[in-house]
Amino acid sequence: MSDYPISGYFGRVLVVDLSLGEVRTEPLDPATALDYLGGRGLATRLLYDTIDPACEPLGPDNAFVIASSPLVGTSAPTAGRGHMVFKSPLTGVIGTSNSGGTWGAAFKAAGWDALVVTGAAASPVMIDIAPGRAEIRPADDLWGKTVHETNDLLAAASEPGRPARVLCIGPAGENLVRFAVVANDANRVYGRCGAGAVWGGKKLKAVRVRGREKIAVADKERFQSGLDQALYLIKQAPVTKRLMRDLGTAGLVELINLISMLPHRNFQDCTHRDEDVDRVSGETLAKTLLEKAGSCYLCPIGCQRHTRVAGRDGKEERGEGPEYETMVLMGPLCGIYDMAAITRANYRANELGLDTMSYGGTVACAMEMAGLGLIGPGETGGIDLSFGGAEALEALVGMTARREGIGAALAEGAYRLAAGRGRPDLAMTVKKLELPAYDPRASYTQALGYMTSPSGACHLRGGYAVSLAFFGGAKEIPRFSLLQSPIAIRNMQNLGILQDSLGVCRFTGYAFSADPWARMVSGVTGRDFSVARLEEIENRVAALERQFNVEAGATAADDALPDRFADSPIVVEGRERRVSRDDQERMKRDYYEVRGWDRDGRPTPGLLRALRIEESRR
Amino acid sequence: MTLKIKFFAYFRDLFGARERDLVLESAATVGGVLEVLTDTPERRAEVFAGAELKPHVVLLLNGAPPGRGLSTPLADGDTLAIFPLLGGG
Repeated sequence: MSDYPISGYFGRVLVVDLSLGEVRTEPLDPATALDYLGGRGLATRLLYDTIDPACEPLGPDNAFVIASSPLVGTSAPTAGRGHMVFKSPLTGVIGTSNSGGTWGAAFKAAGWDALVVTGAAASPVMIDIAPGRAEIRPADDLWGKTVHETNDLLAAASEPGRPARVLCIGPAGENLVRFAVVANDANRVYGRCGAGAVWGGKKLKAVRVRGREKIAVADKERFQSGLDQALYLIKQAPVTKRLMRDLGTAGLVELINLISMLPHRNFQDCTHRDEDVDRVSGETLAKTLLEKAGSCYLCPIGCQRHTRVAGRDGKEERGEGPEYETMVLMGPLCGIYDMAAITRANYRANELGLDTMSYGGTVACAMEMAGLGLIGPGETGGIDLSFGGAEALEALVGMTARREGIGAALAEGAYRLAAGRGRPDLAMTVKKLELPAYDPRASYTQALGYMTSPSGACHLRGGYAVSLAFFGGAKEIPRFSLLQSPIAIRNMQNLGILQDSLGVCRFTGYAFSADPWARMVSGVTGRDFSVARLEEIENRVAALERQFNVEAGATAADDALPDRFADSPIVVEGRERRVSRDDQERMKRDYYEVRGWDRDGRPTPGLLRALRIEESRR
Repeated sequence: MTLKIKFFAYFRDLFGARERDLVLESAATVGGVLEVLTDTPERRAEVFAGAELKPHVVLLLNGAPPGRGLSTPLADGDTLAIFPLLGGG
């Protein structure tokens, strides 16, 4: 238990300086806790107070912050997630990434609210954390090992009732692949924006935690009323009650195809044969490769896919995935409908520590470039890089993680790959982050979400338009509304900020939004977090993320889709659709106005004052 | 007129098909077709709450939400998809 003035927090930030080899605990300012809550909000504030946003992302001046929230450690459903924030080596703007699994809950139980890691070690190290103790240890013996090997070796230190939970990088992070992940429980990942490369640049292989501290709940009745409401609603909605468990996220594949949003061949079109789509659907996955569903910490939804597949050598392999994004970006986006090959490539990416989304987007880009003669047959070591090449998809995972042959170019991500050969227009990225598996020409709202997401084209930070257009019931937002998209996407982005700042899963949003969370967080902290107050926090975090990006050098010109989406239409509901530059401009200006940013997309001094966003304390 | 009905997720088990062609002798609305399709108490209970669609049932007419809900008129050759609210990403 803690004597901190706000329940639900320990009031302690663990700061590790890898350059100096020092570990210390700093106090968490209560005003910062109340203004930024936890998770994404708190981590963003601590990062902004620690680094210069203009710093070199792979150097010692970058830092990463992982923050917990007041709900983590309580019985709130799904509240075991962590949020990591850093300057991204892929995008050059804020890197912001979230992971489930169990590490977040174990870290909180070690008695800290956040972890800040600065500097860089001279040789490989790991950080070992337990209640009241944290130390930097040599990790030369772990360097070069896969994610799974590292996880198994470090988790072996588990004790009864006190499991050791591991975050680590694989060879991809060590080799500074710009879209390397930090893995959690072996197969959950901080996936997007290249956190693994930031760790690799710091020579940090792993962070292990063992915790058993308890969290106090200040107002048990209020907490319980929110909890009861949340659990009731999760049981009421078929998607959270059973569909996620039955079908996993890949249950979306057929639906997204039905609404002409399923990308094909590096976003050249959204045209697939139904029988091909069926081969990569969630239903087919459930009937063929799925062994069982699994869950993250305290999750009643259970979307994880624990699968098995025949290896290329005929031997059975077991692992996790594929999720919707992986299935489509490694699959149809590359012209591939071979679920077994996609699953094996997914396993390899998990072992070596690559983001399956950016990897799929980069391979699709490379395939289009190969078709145009921009990557020659002599460069691929005999691998056929044509669209549909499942063997290439599998073989290139290892080459990319180890930067071998053409893999060294792929390791830079789609934008640098294409721009390096004079065709940046072939990279389907926003702010150099590869697009998720929803074609923005099929929804203006999704287009604007990609354009304005703080981390580049991310459906989780940018807002998820499919829900708005098709699952909103009476509140549905037409998918081609220029007028309604800016407010709709702001609201969706804000709900995401809240969930990320509370350490809870996005999928709870299919059952309920802010109200049960407001009651639970008020109950835990004993402070009144009304929905309106939570909205203020959401707006504060959005403004601070934008301020970070402005100071990192991003401008309004970066809030734009690749040319393909403005110039080449796809057919949706019988009509040709694209997102013209004028339409992008109009939505962007309206969005800035909704956010209270100036015409160049910068938070105004008045807005920063009104939201109590102080200057950096670095 | 002839309509194509597509079923997704648990509606495939409920209706025993991935898709079926439905031939109607006269003009129909989305709601009218659902009345025809929900020919058992179990099917009806999964689709309707009283006269309204259950909140988690999603319909797409030729890839778009039906403009007038259950009273949207149908034309020969239309495709109506029925699925539960799905999540992912």
